Amino acid sequence: MFAVPAILLLFERKWRFVLAFFSVYLVSVFGFEYLKTIEAGLAFSLVVSTMMIVSHMMPITIVLYYVMMSTKVNEFLAAMARMHVPNKVTIPLAVMARFFPTVFDEAHAIGNAMRMRGIRLFSLRTLANPFSILEYRLVPLLVSVTKISDELSIAAVTRGLSPETKRTCVANVGFRVQDLIVFVYCLLVVVCYVFPGLTGNLLAR
Amino acid sequence: MSNIRTTGKKSSNTLVRDLVNVGIFAALYIVLAFLSSSIGYIPALIIFSTGSIALVTSIPLFLFFSKVERTILSCLIFCGFFGTAMFVMGQGVLMLSISLLVGLLAGVVLKVLGKGFAGLFSANIVLSLMSSSMMLPLWTSTEEYLEYTRSMCDAGYVAKLAELAQSPWPLVAIYAFGILGAVVGGFIARRVMKKHFERIGLAK
Repeated sequence: MFAVPAILLLFERKWRFVLAFFSVYLVSVFGFEYLKTIEAGLAFSLVVSTMMIVSHMMPITIVLYYVMMSTKVNEFLAAMARMHVPNKVTIPLAVMARFFPTVFDEAHAIGNAMRMRGIRLFSLRTLANPFSILEYRLVPLLVSVTKISDELSIAAVTRGLSPETKRTCVANVGFRVQDLIVFVYCLLVVVCYVFPGLTGNLLAR
Repeated sequence: MSNIRTTGKKSSNTLVRDLVNVGIFAALYIVLAFLSSSIGYIPALIIFSTGSIALVTSIPLFLFFSKVERTILSCLIFCGFFGTAMFVMGQGVLMLSISLLVGLLAGVVLKVLGKGFAGLFSANIVLSLMSSSMMLPLWTSTEEYLEYTRSMCDAGYVAKLAELAQSPWPLVAIYAFGILGAVVGGFIARRVMKKHFERIGLAK
């Protein structure tokens, strides 16, 4: 399953990235296969479960990275409109895709600011009242998030983004032979590996 | 923007605003839900993880509910995103349908009860059912779930899970803790909303 994003990323000339992540992936897969039989303590199980998360989630994350890196929001909206997905779904999706890094950036900045004032996850002030950490960390985040959302929606309305109107797009978006090859390969993987395990959960390996 | 409106028809500008809000708060909700559910990695705290999700996410949810205008549509898309994210990460179709149902229900509750404290509070409780359902496959398809966890976690964790799956009571406890977290979080959120957001005019 790792092959698809690796090949696709090679087309985008990301040699170093592919090499680095491929080695990390191999280490975590083999390390996990070897280590999961040993049973020792809570801390060890945390290490093993981290390796599990890396080895299971990494192919999906790489696919996500590829999609994020190679797709412009403009082209994404155009492609979704060609696929007859309603705008009511695609606009929040586009906002969400753009917004995940922003959440982490803002949270990091707020964390720095709070550390300067001596408020940490385990400081005296927060241990005296555990719920106050929610207030110290979450409220500034929410305030900045709402500000950003207001600005975004004003910008969107100014540029005439609306669910009723049809967008025009300069780029030519379509379904070509390359897409067909990737699509058929992914379909084969799904049919061969995922359907047997579909009863309760998807085994994406 | 909303008090300039003259015709009875809702303008499409508020719809775009709602859609942007849905996108942003869905991103925030997914991040917060994952961070707060991570205490479930400690076997003894599995049951409490749903409570912590509901507790932490109730403040953003209060803000989200009080900001959207088209409640049913917004809640449906919001929960649909969460369900799809869960579906992609391997939760099965059941989770997707539950979250769509919960989203519809929360929207209807919000529409019927209005955006006072009662409406926000009950919609928050309804939405906590969604994040609590994350553990549901352990009971609906026990064998597959255990097999799946065995392939990725160590034996102690799996044994604890198997012990939990023996009886339906932990499931009840999981939902109860989810609802309890939503109730406590609701009261905290009301205080926080009054103290911070209403004073600077971010929420009505």
